[in-house]
Amino acid sequence: MAPTRPQTPRPLRVNSRGAGLRPGRSGAGNPTLPASAMAAGPAPLGGHPRAQKPHLSKMERVVVSMQDPDQGVKMQSQRLLITVIPHAVTGNDVVEWLIQKYCIAEDEALHLGTLLVQHGYLYPLRDPRRLLLRPDETPYRFQTPYFWMSTLWPAAELDYAIYLAKKNIRKQGALVDHEKAHYDQLHRKINHTWDLVVMQAREQLRAAKQRRKGDRLVIACQEQTYWLVNRPPTKTVDFYKREIECCRKALGRTRVKSSVCLEAYLKFSSQRGPHDPLLSGCLPSNPWVTDDDTYWAMNAPSVAVPTKLRVEQWAFSFRELLEDPVGRAHFMDFLQTEFSAENLSFWEACEELRHGGQAQVPALVDAVYQQFLAPGAARWVNIDSRTMERTLEGLGRPHRHVLDDAQLHIYMLMKKDSYPRFLKSDLYKDLLAEAVVPLETKRRVFPFMWKPRHSSPSLALLPTSTSGEPEAAAGSPGGGDGET
Amino acid sequence: MAKEECKALLDALNKATACYHHLVLTIGGSADSQNLREELQKTRQKAQELAVAIRARLTPPLRDRGLGAEERAEFERLWVAFSGCLELLEADMRRALALGTEFPLHAPRRPLVRTGVEGGASGVAARALSARSLRHEGERDFDVEDLHQLEREILKVGEMIQDMEMKVNVPRWTVQARQTAGAELLSSASAGVSSVGGVSVQQRTGPCDLSKALAATIFSAVLLAAVALAVCVAKLS
Repeated sequence: MAPTRPQTPRPLRVNSRGAGLRPGRSGAGNPTLPASAMAAGPAPLGGHPRAQKPHLSKMERVVVSMQDPDQGVKMQSQRLLITVIPHAVTGNDVVEWLIQKYCIAEDEALHLGTLLVQHGYLYPLRDPRRLLLRPDETPYRFQTPYFWMSTLWPAAELDYAIYLAKKNIRKQGALVDHEKAHYDQLHRKINHTWDLVVMQAREQLRAAKQRRKGDRLVIACQEQTYWLVNRPPTKTVDFYKREIECCRKALGRTRVKSSVCLEAYLKFSSQRGPHDPLLSGCLPSNPWVTDDDTYWAMNAPSVAVPTKLRVEQWAFSFRELLEDPVGRAHFMDFLQTEFSAENLSFWEACEELRHGGQAQVPALVDAVYQQFLAPGAARWVNIDSRTMERTLEGLGRPHRHVLDDAQLHIYMLMKKDSYPRFLKSDLYKDLLAEAVVPLETKRRVFPFMWKPRHSSPSLALLPTSTSGEPEAAAGSPGGGDGET
Repeated sequence: MAKEECKALLDALNKATACYHHLVLTIGGSADSQNLREELQKTRQKAQELAVAIRARLTPPLRDRGLGAEERAEFERLWVAFSGCLELLEADMRRALALGTEFPLHAPRRPLVRTGVEGGASGVAARALSARSLRHEGERDFDVEDLHQLEREILKVGEMIQDMEMKVNVPRWTVQARQTAGAELLSSASAGVSSVGGVSVQQRTGPCDLSKALAATIFSAVLLAAVALAVCVAKLS
């Protein structure tokens, strides 16, 4: 959390719905969380990144600036029969401080104060269940940082079970209705750890006895407030809406069987292994090692004669072919022999639309329509009727994604139809035959030493597999070969 | 008997974890001080020692395939309680690290949250360590060093938990807890009933302190002496 910086007096907007940066594990920023998303054990911190909750850190900054001994809120003492507990504030003082510090109107200060109370940073001393800030003499107190929303999020079931067990002991079994329902539910749900729950509850009560009476009361109030905020007695419409949203998100997550994933991964690795310059070395030589940039010159985006590896790579997937300018040019030649070159031209025009400037969008859409989509156009592309209808509707209000459906249709058409034919065609076979395989540069080595297989050593070669060439490292011109 | 030993150690770990939880509650609040950080360190180190000892005792029986079903069930119960306790401890240690970093005691000086809790918690730490009282002996920059050490200890505990999961395979959901719902009400040693938030009259339970007994005897002796002197004075005059 960011350290406090000097607050400039300006209106402070704290959005209780969260800034929507990254949606948390259950919707954006709320104290109540659906039970299904909870872990049975203590809340894991640091194991995986916490969802960002910028509104919480803002509220915490406000609370910390209230603690300043000179410029903070005025504190009073709470007088119970025999004990005196310090650090109580009245609602009035809080509201006045907010008005004065941030130069805001009274309504806004009241709203901000109520947000602080609802999120549990401030709790009322007299009526703990009503979480709102009253601008009169009702006393409030600050919550300890341990029970702040951001420290202890999300609320764990085990902690709640321990709290209910403690309350059960203290009240000799007289729990409130909703707490009783939660207790039974938890007992069924985390039955296997119930021994731990009982043991911890008893021990925590005994540990609390070691403190003074005033401290004991305050700590009990703090815990009660935390659970009132995180397990509210009444479930509002908001709560159910958030539960529904969370469940929907959980359903919508893509789930792939690991067997499918792993097969695809293996295929990818085996296909691309020989093509990877780090794993299999690069021909003619690694420019970083030998200071010879032939490799880069031969693999430039537009080169007259592509290397063999590059031509083979076009066979992996259609996307690879289209992404390589040389490949795309050859594919265009092939389509021209098949008289379906307008498909590729249309696809290229749509790409230009998607990635081009905003100002050119209307003109470009019009040009594309005239050239490819209008009935009787010069280079009419074959799109199915439904997509065509949708596209024509959208053309009324052109934006850069208006031709996306049509582009996808043409892409799939080329991929399923023209691409396999291209791979089987004579054109492609000729390209493969003509493709150049660069020779590796011979390194100057002493005649009685082994010649290295690759002048660019592969990093994946283990030391044991090249045991015959430890001396080669001494004779290498590059100096930093590391092939031992 | 191995089981009794384990149970005793587990109770001690449970006590240490509960006391640690109680101490971590007050970090960043008005009761936060160097003494508190020292107490936290001592408590968590004791808890870790106990955890290592329990783990050394529990792992062999659980890996022994020739153990009877009853015995095994008992050990599994202990294991589930032990790993739950250790996870609670780890979570509290992480929170202590986060809070300790956010509310440093020395520089930069940030105001602590005035929560109304004052007074020391040395009694809690002493309870965790099963000692009578605690001595505080830290230097000035204790909390900064302590945070580094806390980070290392969190990593160690995390590794221990992971190691435990790998070595011993106990499916937790099959373990039947012995305590039923409401079991805490039955033999609760805490007879003090205090309602939350209200004023309560605390019942005096427990044996008298040694110091109080000593004071009472001295007082009565002085009283007797005074009475005897008064009688002598009255007789002589």
